[in-house]
Amino acid sequence: MEHTTAKRLASAAGLVLAFSLATACGPPVTSTSESDSPTTSARTNPNRLQAPTDDSPSGEIIIWDRSGDLYEVFDAAIGKFNQKYPNITVRHEAVDIASKLRNTLITGTDVPDGVFLDDAYVAGYKDYLWDLSDVLGPYIDHIAPQKIGVNTIDGGIYGVPYDLDPGLLYYNEVALAEAGIDPNSIETYDDLLEAASRYKQYRPSAQPIHLEQGAWLGQLQLEMYANQLNTSMADADGNLRLDSAEYLRILTWLDGVSQQGLGTRAEYLSPSDIGYLESRDEVFYPWAIWFDYGPQAQLPETSGEWRAMELPAWQAGGARGGAMGGSSFILPKEGANSQLSWLFYEFLMFDEVGYTAVYGPNDVYPGGTNTSIPSYGPAADPAKPLFEPFAGLGYQDLWSVAVAAGQRIPGGNPTPTWWDGAVEYLGNNVQRMLDGDMTPQEVIDQSTADIQSNLIDRQ
Amino acid sequence: MTAMTAVQGEASGTGPFWRRPWRRPISQLTPVGQDERRPAGPRRSLRPWQRFRRAGWPYLFIAPFLVVFVAFSVYPMLFTLRLSFTRWHGTGLAQWVGLNNYAYLLTNPAFWASLKNSAALWLLVLPAQIVLALAIAVLLNNTALKLRGFYRVAAIVPFVTPLVAVAQIWVVLFDRDYGVINHILNLFGLPDVGWLVTSTWSKPTLALLFIWKTTGFIMIILLSGLQAIEPAFYEAATIDGAGRARQISAITLPLLRRTLMFAVVMQTLAVFQMFTEPYVVTEGGPYSSTTTAGLYLYNHINRADLGTGSANSFLLVIIMVGLSLVFVRLLRPKD
Amino acid sequence: MAVISTTAARRRLASQVGSHLFLAAVTAAFLAPVIWALLSAFKQPVAIIQRPLDLFGSGFTLVNYVRMFQDVPIGQGFFNTAIVLVIKGAITMLGAPLAAYGFAKYTFPGKPILFGAVMVTLMLPVIVLIIPLLLEMKELGWVGTYQALILPGSVDAFAIFWMRQVIAAVPDELLDAGRIDGCSEPGVFWRIVLPAIRPGLAGLGVLTIMNIYNDFVWPVVVASSSKMATLQVVLSTLAQNIAGHRISADYASVTGELLAASSIALIPLLVLFILLQKHFINGILAGSVKG
Repeated sequence: MEHTTAKRLASAAGLVLAFSLATACGPPVTSTSESDSPTTSARTNPNRLQAPTDDSPSGEIIIWDRSGDLYEVFDAAIGKFNQKYPNITVRHEAVDIASKLRNTLITGTDVPDGVFLDDAYVAGYKDYLWDLSDVLGPYIDHIAPQKIGVNTIDGGIYGVPYDLDPGLLYYNEVALAEAGIDPNSIETYDDLLEAASRYKQYRPSAQPIHLEQGAWLGQLQLEMYANQLNTSMADADGNLRLDSAEYLRILTWLDGVSQQGLGTRAEYLSPSDIGYLESRDEVFYPWAIWFDYGPQAQLPETSGEWRAMELPAWQAGGARGGAMGGSSFILPKEGANSQLSWLFYEFLMFDEVGYTAVYGPNDVYPGGTNTSIPSYGPAADPAKPLFEPFAGLGYQDLWSVAVAAGQRIPGGNPTPTWWDGAVEYLGNNVQRMLDGDMTPQEVIDQSTADIQSNLIDRQ
Repeated sequence: MTAMTAVQGEASGTGPFWRRPWRRPISQLTPVGQDERRPAGPRRSLRPWQRFRRAGWPYLFIAPFLVVFVAFSVYPMLFTLRLSFTRWHGTGLAQWVGLNNYAYLLTNPAFWASLKNSAALWLLVLPAQIVLALAIAVLLNNTALKLRGFYRVAAIVPFVTPLVAVAQIWVVLFDRDYGVINHILNLFGLPDVGWLVTSTWSKPTLALLFIWKTTGFIMIILLSGLQAIEPAFYEAATIDGAGRARQISAITLPLLRRTLMFAVVMQTLAVFQMFTEPYVVTEGGPYSSTTTAGLYLYNHINRADLGTGSANSFLLVIIMVGLSLVFVRLLRPKD
Repeated sequence: MAVISTTAARRRLASQVGSHLFLAAVTAAFLAPVIWALLSAFKQPVAIIQRPLDLFGSGFTLVNYVRMFQDVPIGQGFFNTAIVLVIKGAITMLGAPLAAYGFAKYTFPGKPILFGAVMVTLMLPVIVLIIPLLLEMKELGWVGTYQALILPGSVDAFAIFWMRQVIAAVPDELLDAGRIDGCSEPGVFWRIVLPAIRPGLAGLGVLTIMNIYNDFVWPVVVASSSKMATLQVVLSTLAQNIAGHRISADYASVTGELLAASSIALIPLLVLFILLQKHFINGILAGSVKG
């Protein structure tokens, strides 16, 4: 068969090509770019979800969550929801959202009514989602501005904000005390560098500050630092603004930590990371609140030694609040019962019984869900903690620290639709810088050029 | 007498009808007006159903494949081809952009890098895997060896494990500081290796996963080739005083050549189609060093840039076809 | 004479020992990860991550299995995989040898192009067709149905390619003898070819089962609801948290669940292979290019 296969392949390929010239299939094609008409008035905008007016709403809703702790937390809260809305059946599914959501939305089949999604991805799905401006109206003034910011694209709000994730400086109090370092003296990132270098003098094997080695999380952390300086990768019009004094300041500092040997390069809570944390070589962890799961469950040796404080400021007296990560709930337009799923999320997020069920004591977190705080103001009441102090942080009052930090997070910084794609450029270039292969300015220049040509220009 | 000569002997059209040559081209089989069944009858054309009874069977046999092929390969390929000239994000109208997507890809270093990554993986996988599989197969071909069945099953176990799970095991085993592999290296006084976190080692780590997973299968293919070699060859060589190594180079390898090439072609296709391994283990990192051709394509899709993704698909198809043409030439026997 | 035979025996012994040492090392490398996974599934989740080498010291627990059964529809996954396996497997096992018979034993106009089509399909990476195929399923209204899981790729090009080798080795005299006995052309296939290639069919069967059972990319895309999730889709649901960006705090317990699910998924194929290994190996013997 071999000697003629070449010809066969060629003729088969030719056949396919010949067919293609004669046949047409696929989506309708236009020769000009079309955009949504901006003249549609808000009142009649069909993309805006309205709350149901039914007295006793009924039906079935499909809710997607990713597997793991939060799936079980939300699963446990469904019972409470059904006490208020007995006629709404919740089909709660643990789903590989990253692999499935895009395809499901494209085909429009079995579209879920609500999906748990990282804030970083929400903008990228905008075309398929309900604009929630109207239903969120009554609550908007009480929701953390940062969460409204990341969910806002072109004037619409596309996610029900779930958690607020203030960045905090986690530190190993016991290790620092042994080295004679007072954590309260750390008010700026320069102070942090100074404290790290003193700790290294005390303990030469130490690499005190965590430097994230994952490109995705590294970019998320970079955005936390930027959020402190009230900026982000792109402005509200989608224009890049990486080339700024703020980003240069942050990258230069990270580069300094790396160059002076004061950082542990590891992926977040990977075996390597855990090893350095447990040996007390890594004692500073500027991260989102959810790092606290480490001391609770994954760091048995140093559990109880960890404490959290506000992030340092970029200059003396500067802003100390910044958010890292977080998630929201999106409602696809093609969902069969979007109005009912709005009721579900309204209950979980804005009804006291609901948010108490989510954040209060549950099977997974016996003292309450303490890996984030609510983004809804009345729920994040400093005087009414939803979760209790726990052993991992030496029974420190994390609620107060986190709520205070959360209130200082600046708002109004949108997430660009191409955030995830930017990891290949910005996220990777930050890693190259930490490897010593790029300078901070090169990271900015290269990432700006690449994101512009590969992502923004190809929207 | 071989089948071929039997057929040639019947070419004159003599002999009982059921011995007529089914395997000759239809032009010879049913020349219009020369119905072999009625050599003495008047000249006339065959009716369609008669023609079908003669030559229709192979089409009927191939029909199920053809239906599935046209419905689920050709049609989607046409879809892809058309999409590749547009900018489309999965919803609304597609915008015609001509060759823009192709131009973007062909001038994009990342596209070429993804091909290079696949090629590098091929270089890392193929020679090592073939040598390893051959070594095991040669040893297991020795009927005097005890525990052959056990070794054979053990070798195939990786082949039946779910890739998604194995990939996760790889992450734990190859951790830079706390992974088992580096523990073992340390025992021999070797330094830690950043298996999954440096672009130098990420490809070898992925290649190891691929080798681990599929060597057993290749070994069995080679073993089957070895078992087809007449033991008499080896007996003669032993009598002539040829050692084991000499026997392998003088008898085994030449006689195994086509089986080896078959394995090489199969594994080449598999490596260039590799997607799940980097998707689960490294997500294409660090620094896109494990972004294979398939994963790079997937990244466009994941970003809803379906036009560029389709153009990428078509370029990959052209490359794969070209690649297999090369191998078809290699497989051609030397006459 | 005695001296020679002793030397020969000693040399044979040495070569046996050498063979066993090499094979034992390779076997250990092949089995260790699987054994690690099977045993680790019974460890406390945190211990799996922290002390991966300590397989017995951290206490026996079923917590990973319990949580896995609660969280993901693994029973449904087995059920769906079984359905797809039976129907798609049957189509492949019938359609592929039939087409292969057509290609191996007949000459007909268009054969070069059609066999070229087989080769092209063989070379297409799955990922290339994902999106258009998905859109086609949408047009057909098949998304989230069994036919979408079953039909695409059901008459597998590799299976045809493989069977063609097997059937080509069946002597033409045998087919002609069947025709002498009055078999129709389908009769020749059914009564003569199929029985003659039984070992090859067995090999194809095992390979087909493995391919369908471990198929991942297409089912993840097209099984839209969890009702349609196959076993591998269920596994990927668990793997997402880990393979993704590890944002989930619950990395360890999901790893535990994944190992538990993987163990369960692994066992049926392993048992099947051990039971059928003779057929499988003989089948490959029949199918691969030799000499």
